[in-house]
Amino acid sequence: MKKALAIAKWEFMEKIKSKAMIISFFLTPLIILGFSILPSVFAEKDEATTQAIGIIDNTQNYFTSLSEKLSEYKLEKNQPRYVVINLFKQNEPIDSLKAEANRNVVKKKIEGYIFLSVNDKKEMLFEYRSLSVGNFNDYRRFEESFNKIRRVREFEKAHIDTALVSHLLNNVELNTVKIDEKGKESSADFKSQYFSSFIFIMILFMVIMISGGMLVRSLVEEKSNRLMEIIVSSCKPDDILKGKILGLSGLTLAQIVVWVLIGVAFAGQGMVMFASFQNLFLLFVYFILGFVLYTAIFVGVGSIVTTEQEAQQITSYLSMITISPLVIMIPAMQNPDSLLIRVFSYIPLTTSGVMILRLNAAPISTLEILATLAELVLSIYLVIKISSKIFRIGILSYGKMPSLAQLFVWLREKE
Amino acid sequence: MLAVKNLRKEYTNTVAIDDISFSLQPGKIFGLIGPNGAGKTTTIRVILNIIKPTSGDVLFDGKPMDRSIQNITGYLPEERGLYKKSTVLDVIVYLASLKNLSSHRAVQLATEWLTKLDILDSKNKKIEELSKGNQQKIQFITSVVHDPKILILDEPFTGFDPINQQLIKETILSLASEGKIIVLSTHQMEFAEKLCNDIFLINKGKEVCSGSLSEIKRQYGTQSIKIEYQGDATFLNQNKDVAHLDMYQNYAEIQLNDSINPSLFLRSIVDKIEVKHFSIIEPTLNKIFIDAIKN
Repeated sequence: MKKALAIAKWEFMEKIKSKAMIISFFLTPLIILGFSILPSVFAEKDEATTQAIGIIDNTQNYFTSLSEKLSEYKLEKNQPRYVVINLFKQNEPIDSLKAEANRNVVKKKIEGYIFLSVNDKKEMLFEYRSLSVGNFNDYRRFEESFNKIRRVREFEKAHIDTALVSHLLNNVELNTVKIDEKGKESSADFKSQYFSSFIFIMILFMVIMISGGMLVRSLVEEKSNRLMEIIVSSCKPDDILKGKILGLSGLTLAQIVVWVLIGVAFAGQGMVMFASFQNLFLLFVYFILGFVLYTAIFVGVGSIVTTEQEAQQITSYLSMITISPLVIMIPAMQNPDSLLIRVFSYIPLTTSGVMILRLNAAPISTLEILATLAELVLSIYLVIKISSKIFRIGILSYGKMPSLAQLFVWLREKE
Repeated sequence: MLAVKNLRKEYTNTVAIDDISFSLQPGKIFGLIGPNGAGKTTTIRVILNIIKPTSGDVLFDGKPMDRSIQNITGYLPEERGLYKKSTVLDVIVYLASLKNLSSHRAVQLATEWLTKLDILDSKNKKIEELSKGNQQKIQFITSVVHDPKILILDEPFTGFDPINQQLIKETILSLASEGKIIVLSTHQMEFAEKLCNDIFLINKGKEVCSGSLSEIKRQYGTQSIKIEYQGDATFLNQNKDVAHLDMYQNYAEIQLNDSINPSLFLRSIVDKIEVKHFSIIEPTLNKIFIDAIKN
């Protein structure tokens, strides 16, 4: 064990001093923040210029009200968001009006135009026509304004009190409150939950990818320059394996500590997301176990590769598995107790990721937590057993990567 | 004493070493010699307890080797390399710590060795900043810094210039005189010939010949003699005992036919010429190696 510690110390000290590590310390949080926060920031950011919107109101009923309603939307500094232009002309066929409006859209004289009409079945036709149909914020405003006008008119026709009508037309928003097992309440919405889970899994992924890659690369280096022979002539392969896993875990912890500190220092607001975790300790346990499981796999696999290219391929395939829980992220949050999610919770390679999602979404029974933890610990034990068997022979084998059949022979070989 | 007894190592389809036995004495240098793929590395790995033999034993002072001997072995593998981005002292101290040396003691011994091999000024440099020869020196130091009782050197001279080869040669000899058991595996026969007391020649996993260098030379001695003389030696051209003759101004190298005893041959020629010097030419280890492997 003393030698395992010596190896762990070396792995930790030498890697923490490397340039790659220093870059990862500071670059990784930026990448994670970038991936998790920027898309939502950009999606909510509006086009901040006034848009010219045309209206062809074939019903001749709505233009005035609709243009009034739309001009209520303001940009910053009280600048109107929409300038509304009436494109309807008496005595002109609708088709030629539309054709002219289309030309204006193409020439970018107007952003787009709203077309209102009633069809043969007396049904209302409400269209927005423009070059790009991607800005959902515009449609929401058009739709809301038009429907509000329509409803008010219908109510008025039925002689219903206008005060009551406007009162009824105000939507009551749904607030979400999360209750934990102890009955404690906290406000949490889908978005913050989504992003906090996302960030946690991304961190797990980055950490495994970075340190797994490092581990495999250093094994390839030690194999190719035969340092491994010197090391293995000095200590048991099991000590080497333990030392490497331990050293890397230490490195990962150090990384996380640095990230948290960076987070607190620069993105105080961003860290609020972590407040939505009630099971921070458990999350951490799953995180570490997941990390150790993957590292143990990396050690076994790393010992059989002999070239940098093979190392790179294997590292990227394995790391992909760590982010696989993201695929079932939305169903896991919508329905944390579904069968599919439960099944994934018991597949060792996805247990950590899925449990991080589930812990964040809803309370999980203690039994299930214990069962998944036991399953993870058992898998780690088995993987280390298998990895160390492969490792013992793999580190001394050069040339072609062994076939699966060969690996089975290795596994059966006695020490 | 280190004794290797009836060692055999099989892999799935091959026998890497087959029933080899030898023993190594403290203070003596043992030459493990053989062509590529002969089984030298496997033998070394078994001795170092890196791999287990299929059968046979390795005994150190009569006791079977186990993990505990790993702290008293030093190993210089044939292919070299160190942690390029780390500093000289860090690397030496790390590898010494794997031999159970405290870091304080390791620094002390490392400094001594760096001084001895004349590269103390590189102590805090990164390995990649050193010349190839100096990297080799560091590698050599990592194999001896913990004062091992058993030292296994695989091609220790490659990569060194003649001056440093001399330095390493002297260092190995002084380590032997300190009573270490030294295994020298090499292709460079002139070094083996100069350094080794005992030789073990291995090919295709099997022993070809073994014993002290002089014994082997006797065993593989060809029927070659050298004489220095005065007089007319042209009669040797017609002598039926001579298989091959190289005649010079006043000396000749003569290869005799197989059945001829050199002493009797000498007796038969002293009447005809004045022999000033007579010697039996010993074969070089290089020649023994080539002949033995070819046969």
